Amino acid sequence: MRPLDENETTLVFNKLHKFVGNNLKNIVLESQSHEGPDANPGRYCFRLQKKRVYYVSESLVKRATNIKREKLVSLGTQIGKFTKSGKFFLTIQSLNLLAANAKHKVWLKPTSEMSFLYGNSVLKGGVGRITENIQVNDGVVVFSMADVPLGFGDAAKSTVDCRKMDPNGIVIHRHADIGEYLRMEDEL
Amino acid sequence: MGKKKQKLVLPPELPPEVPDEDIEVSDEDLQFFNENLEYAGFVSNLDTHSITKHVTRVADAKEGDLESLYEKRLRKRLENKEKEPTAVEVDPVDALPVKTLDGQLYYRRVAKEPKEAEPVSGDPALVKLTKAEKRAKLKKLRKEAKKQAKEEVQQTPQAEVLDEVKKDLTAEEATEMKKYKLAELGTALLADPESNIKNIKEMLEISKDGNSAIVILGLKSLLAVFKDIIPGYRIRLPTEKEQEMKVSKAVKKMRFYESTLLSAYKAYVQKLVSLQHQAVYKRVAVRCLCTLLAAVPHFNFRDSLLAAVVKNITSQDDVVRKLCGTAVKSLFMDEGKHGGEATVEAVKMIAELVKAHNCQLHPDSVEVFLSLSFDEDLGKSRSSDMDNRTKNKNSKKRKGGDEPNDMPNNQGKKIRKEMISKTREEVSADFKAASLAQDPQEQRRLQSQTLSAVFQTYFRILKHAVLPISETSSVPGASRGHPLLASCLNGIGKFSHLIDLDFMADLMHCLRKLAGRDSKLGDSSENYSCLTVSERLRCCIVAFKVMRNNLDALNVDLQEFFVQLYNLILEFRPGRDQGEVLAEALKIMLCDDRQHDMQRAAAFIKRLSTFSLCFGSAESMAALVTVKHLLLKNVNCRNLLDNDAGGGSVAGAIAKYQPHAVDPNRSGALASVLWELNVLLKHYHPAVSSIASGISTMNMNNSQVYHSHVSPQQAYMELSQENMSFAPPTDIKTANNKRQKGMDKLPVKVGSDLNLKVQFDENEVRKKLAEHFFLLRDIQENERLRSELDRTTLSLNLYERYKKRKKRKTR
Repeated sequence: MRPLDENETTLVFNKLHKFVGNNLKNIVLESQSHEGPDANPGRYCFRLQKKRVYYVSESLVKRATNIKREKLVSLGTQIGKFTKSGKFFLTIQSLNLLAANAKHKVWLKPTSEMSFLYGNSVLKGGVGRITENIQVNDGVVVFSMADVPLGFGDAAKSTVDCRKMDPNGIVIHRHADIGEYLRMEDEL
Repeated sequence: MGKKKQKLVLPPELPPEVPDEDIEVSDEDLQFFNENLEYAGFVSNLDTHSITKHVTRVADAKEGDLESLYEKRLRKRLENKEKEPTAVEVDPVDALPVKTLDGQLYYRRVAKEPKEAEPVSGDPALVKLTKAEKRAKLKKLRKEAKKQAKEEVQQTPQAEVLDEVKKDLTAEEATEMKKYKLAELGTALLADPESNIKNIKEMLEISKDGNSAIVILGLKSLLAVFKDIIPGYRIRLPTEKEQEMKVSKAVKKMRFYESTLLSAYKAYVQKLVSLQHQAVYKRVAVRCLCTLLAAVPHFNFRDSLLAAVVKNITSQDDVVRKLCGTAVKSLFMDEGKHGGEATVEAVKMIAELVKAHNCQLHPDSVEVFLSLSFDEDLGKSRSSDMDNRTKNKNSKKRKGGDEPNDMPNNQGKKIRKEMISKTREEVSADFKAASLAQDPQEQRRLQSQTLSAVFQTYFRILKHAVLPISETSSVPGASRGHPLLASCLNGIGKFSHLIDLDFMADLMHCLRKLAGRDSKLGDSSENYSCLTVSERLRCCIVAFKVMRNNLDALNVDLQEFFVQLYNLILEFRPGRDQGEVLAEALKIMLCDDRQHDMQRAAAFIKRLSTFSLCFGSAESMAALVTVKHLLLKNVNCRNLLDNDAGGGSVAGAIAKYQPHAVDPNRSGALASVLWELNVLLKHYHPAVSSIASGISTMNMNNSQVYHSHVSPQQAYMELSQENMSFAPPTDIKTANNKRQKGMDKLPVKVGSDLNLKVQFDENEVRKKLAEHFFLLRDIQENERLRSELDRTTLSLNLYERYKKRKKRKTR
């Protein structure tokens, strides 16, 4: 377990910034954890362990130092992992963090929720509501109509273009969805 | 005769005249004095001291000077006398005399004439008189004028017969003459325009007079005449070729009539356009122009009329601007008169004007667009037309398909049929050209032209508003502030359903920039001009309207505008900003929208209820109605009504309520409790407290199918109207009782409400006055009784003494 180095930090922050925009400072600086015995609340920080990036409170980090690096399986919330080629991608566990701070959102109609949870992209016909001002390739968090976060992905079309599309066009390319907890149980 | 009056008017002039008074007093004066003794009362009050001072000063002067001094005085006196007859006519209130340095008095004689001028044209812009009425009025006027002339004739012998008086009189007579002439010509024209058309030229001549009153009269009467006799079609002067042709007498006469009318009209319009630059005639000329434009927009020279009116629409003069505005509005409203062409021209001219002035104009100039009306199905009708056409074609084809089967060899018949159809088409084309009913396609073309000009203007204004000051101020004459923005936003809101989808993205971008322009944002916004809270609220409203009217298929969530509204509620000040705009924003953004995030809804509920504590009653009513709406729609938000802080399972990521959060999603409002409702229960206004109690009793789990029918706007309007006459429920009687108990708290509790205080004051004052007068009466009564007592005792004493004396005498 170690803090991220500079390259890794930029990669992680870039990725997060795509989804949360200026709320990134909420995630990194302002959110406070009340874990542990300390009287004053600690902050959260990012830790790398076995190519995976975790979002951990500082008090937990202190306590985790007691465990050998090989033996430490997980700590805090995993938010993503580095591939062998050195790229960073967000995993589904980061969904709660993203959903709370999301800049761009899409709400799915109840009929198309299942399709999305099986790993398909979001089509225009399935969009119940969409935030304005989404540009192409922005990170978008997907919600159900009842405001339950379902996953996240990349915008394939801007909000303006969405109007003119036909109902079968893809609006959002899927990155991750909560169906993965069942489908890819082993890999997570 | 009016001498004494004169004296009264000019006290400072009098004292020096005293020495030669004896010489000057005429018999008439004496007679007048004898007749009106009471007028002379002031003589006894004369300030003799100052008079003697004046006299001695005169006496002290050198001998030579003295002579000239007296001479001057004599002359002055004479002149004063000359003026008397005219001066009497002038109402001293209307025209104070002007005294020049050498002591001469000038009366303004103009004051009398405009009074007469009015009945002639009867303010044609306001009241359109029928011909008969006009004639009657003219007659009456003439009679009056004659009477006045007689009076003047009677007066003249009384005055000294002097050349200047004569001159004056002749001038006056001339003006009177001209007035008659105008009236006569006008009536003749109205009675039979075709045969008396030449009169119009004479009237034009008269209106070129040097006397401003006559000119004004002339213009007004010409206006009345033109309004009446201008035909319902556009006059086209015959070409040379046509003139060469031989025509019947009637046609010749008609042509002559039309050409004279047209040339006179042209001269008239040109005169008006030139006169509007002179301050004296400005209003009259503009009024004439506006009336003409409203009355005869179909006629020739509309362009020059329009140009003049549109140019004056941004005038500094309120009256002129309003006149022009109403004229242009009426032009927009009844397009039947001119078939829509004038609308297009006017709109284009205004667009040019806005462009030329770099958006620094009076808002009235753009507000006129609001009275434009477009067909709702501007886009749809085209497709339906196409359908019809194709249907017709189909049917024709079918018929065509049928025909050859029936008569394959009847070529002659076919040709004849073609001929018939051709002539029919021609006839129908002619009919179309002649009839007033417009071709729908033509109409659509005109409307789309108008629309594009309107939106061009609107987008120009928006763009100008978005530009930072540093750029605009480089243009000379540009000032801060965007006077046109408010009316522009209103307009976009009204016509939002007609905006092309392609513009939408840019429009939203502009609006977002404008709404987000924070006045407090420090250095980065310093080179931006600040918009008021109402303007920014308007931006949000317009964005929502635009979105809603155009995108029923895709439901777009305008997150950023919600953030703006959330922060604008903080900046809202009831006195400074317009409550209606806030109520409208609440309605459109929060009540009409179908769903909201739970967090956002909770944040709005919390903020609105907090701020309804410190708004006025009307604003807080609107806010509470919105809160109720939101709570009804979002069942989970009713957690706020429970009395446990922390929010439980729904609280989300933020565990503590952050009242200063910028983003409603990050405020964590679900963790708070709506304690404000309890305070609002004690609101001084019964409606507010009742709705607060209604909200606080809302149940957590029963999903009431209750829809409040009141919108925040309605609630706001009701309360703000009621507020004018609103007296809090505490009645006067109870107030009286309470005051007797020494209630000083009551006014403190409702301290904001002035009404009650006034009532209190009134009551108190009344009571005190009553006490005072009772006391006074008592004192008087007392005095009266005492005096009576004194008198009786005195008389008794006298009687005693008398008795004694009598006794003594008898002894």
